[in-house]
Amino acid sequence: MRKIVIAIAVTLPLLLAASAGRAQNLAAQPGYVPIEKLDLFPQDRLSVEINIEGALLNLIAAGARGSDPEFSSLLSGLKAINVQAFPLKGVDEGRLRTRIGNAVRWLEDRGWKSTLKVREGGEETYIYLKEADGRIAGLTLLSMTPGDEAVVLNIVGRIDPDQIGRLARHFDVDVNVKPAPAPPVKNDKKPE
Amino acid sequence: MIQPHDDPRCEEALDWIEPYLDGDLPGEEAARLREHLGRCPACAAELQLAERIQRELRALPQLDCPPEVLERVERAGRGEVVAFRPRQRTSLRLTAAAALLALSVGGGALFLRLQRSSDQPSPEEVAQATAEAKLALAYLGRATRRASVDLQQEVLAKRLVVPATRGVVRSLGTERSDKGVLR
Repeated sequence: MRKIVIAIAVTLPLLLAASAGRAQNLAAQPGYVPIEKLDLFPQDRLSVEINIEGALLNLIAAGARGSDPEFSSLLSGLKAINVQAFPLKGVDEGRLRTRIGNAVRWLEDRGWKSTLKVREGGEETYIYLKEADGRIAGLTLLSMTPGDEAVVLNIVGRIDPDQIGRLARHFDVDVNVKPAPAPPVKNDKKPE
Repeated sequence: MIQPHDDPRCEEALDWIEPYLDGDLPGEEAARLREHLGRCPACAAELQLAERIQRELRALPQLDCPPEVLERVERAGRGEVVAFRPRQRTSLRLTAAAALLALSVGGGALFLRLQRSSDQPSPEEVAQATAEAKLALAYLGRATRRASVDLQQEVLAKRLVVPATRGVVRSLGTERSDKGVLR
């Protein structure tokens, strides 16, 4: 019986470790920021939430290889893209500024280097980069536009600044920066 | 149906049937039995029945007696006291352990496989994620555009080339430029 218990005791942790390993991989990336832990926005009032990582990123890169090679190339070097956007209408912006300031300190305490800080007309934009082994391993954007929305974005992985700059400009024009509409609700009841 | 035995010699004939079939009956008695069977249908029927039983018994599969049982029988025959040997359980335990281990590994592999297949996104999810990835880049583009900064040339390239210079400027307390851009 002891041999059986030992066999199970050895096998089960290995299997559980293999399962949990994938989740831990991302957190171990130098460019990763747990944006949900920064406590910037109320999670139940986000207007946009994007979490793309792992196999899904690879599939997007593979799918775009023919139609948009540069986009595909950028994504193939990434580990994760996480975005949260929060609408600012009717919100205490002063409190939010404090939270963004805390997030900025959090980044700087962990070795993130400031690349851009803009404060103009109430608008705030911060871009931070994380380097590892002489390469950019992560990018974090914090922005707040009064009366519009606040955004936190974290891109994890190998980032080519030229490439991401070109694509950011390209999609800023081409993509409608609005969340996808909710799927239509089926209503079987016929109007009277 | 066996007929009644009316002949007084039937009793003797019935005693001879088994040795006759086994070939153990002496020749003179065997001849007398054959003569009686020719005259007595009831004893002839008994012979046929005995032949059939013997034939069917021989047709049954032969089972080998386990050697340890034979040994015990022989020793018991010699008057020895034969103790029962404890059952061998080691091989059974090992088999059970191996089976459990195989079950754990197999079940675990299946669990991981199922988990992986459930993680596999559908084409619709990939299309949605593609749009979301573009949206994320669009956020970045919009933020830098609002800051009147070209991410490629004005920010990231300079960051890689002259990070030390910016650090000096910041330390001098001249962070805010005319455009409001802190560099």
